[in-house]
Amino acid sequence: MDAVWAPVAVISGVLVAAGMGRFLWSLRPQADMSGLPPTPLEKLGWVGLGVTIVVGLGLGLLVGLAGADFIDENTTARGIFWLLMLGGTGFWVASWRYLKRRSGATVIDERDRAILARSLSVESIIVLLSLVGWTIVLTEVYSDEGVMPIGFLQLIFWSTFISGAFGRSLGIVMGYRREIPANA
Amino acid sequence: MPKANIANHIRRLRFEHAEMTQQELADLVGCTRQTIIVLEKGRYVPSLSLAFDIARVFSKTVEEVFDYPTNG
Repeated sequence: MDAVWAPVAVISGVLVAAGMGRFLWSLRPQADMSGLPPTPLEKLGWVGLGVTIVVGLGLGLLVGLAGADFIDENTTARGIFWLLMLGGTGFWVASWRYLKRRSGATVIDERDRAILARSLSVESIIVLLSLVGWTIVLTEVYSDEGVMPIGFLQLIFWSTFISGAFGRSLGIVMGYRREIPANA
Repeated sequence: MPKANIANHIRRLRFEHAEMTQQELADLVGCTRQTIIVLEKGRYVPSLSLAFDIARVFSKTVEEVFDYPTNG
């Protein structure tokens, strides 16, 4: 089994690294847009990226320290888990309200709405990748037992939620760094 | 998706209208300054309603503000 997965893992790692490099390069500020303050929606995209990365890493750390079935077994870890999830969501919502209040002029215009609509495709891809990852990992780990701990349902839901928010934020940030295709 | 080759004279028209700033134009037509900037650079094609709003600010027709060559 390892002989099969090792090259697959290496090739996947190289592809992911190449993809990340290409993606990070595409996020560089455009020369003619440098020095321009970001729109409220772009700021929200960056906030969303930060929040989802922090919450995602926190969730990963929690699973690493308390085990994957901590939701069923560990009350303290469960409390931290809910604090992370609700705190992250609350912070994100509060950030948007704050940004809207601070912006005196138009907050979202048609270009922002176009970028927001296009970010859905990035969100969909990342959610799909997240679900594919869960399916492969859970199948590999629990295929012999035939059952998996019920606590994974919470993990799957919240990781999908975080992935979706991450993907949406990523799509927004990417949208401001790429030319909007003509809708004419 | 094909790129529409639509040029515009927004920058010139702003200067002809008492050197109107991008922010002032953005406020008048209800969009962000960033959208006016990308519009002027030809990196964004506005909706019909935004194109009409911009033309009305300068008391021009849409055709006088935007150029859409027949050969694309």
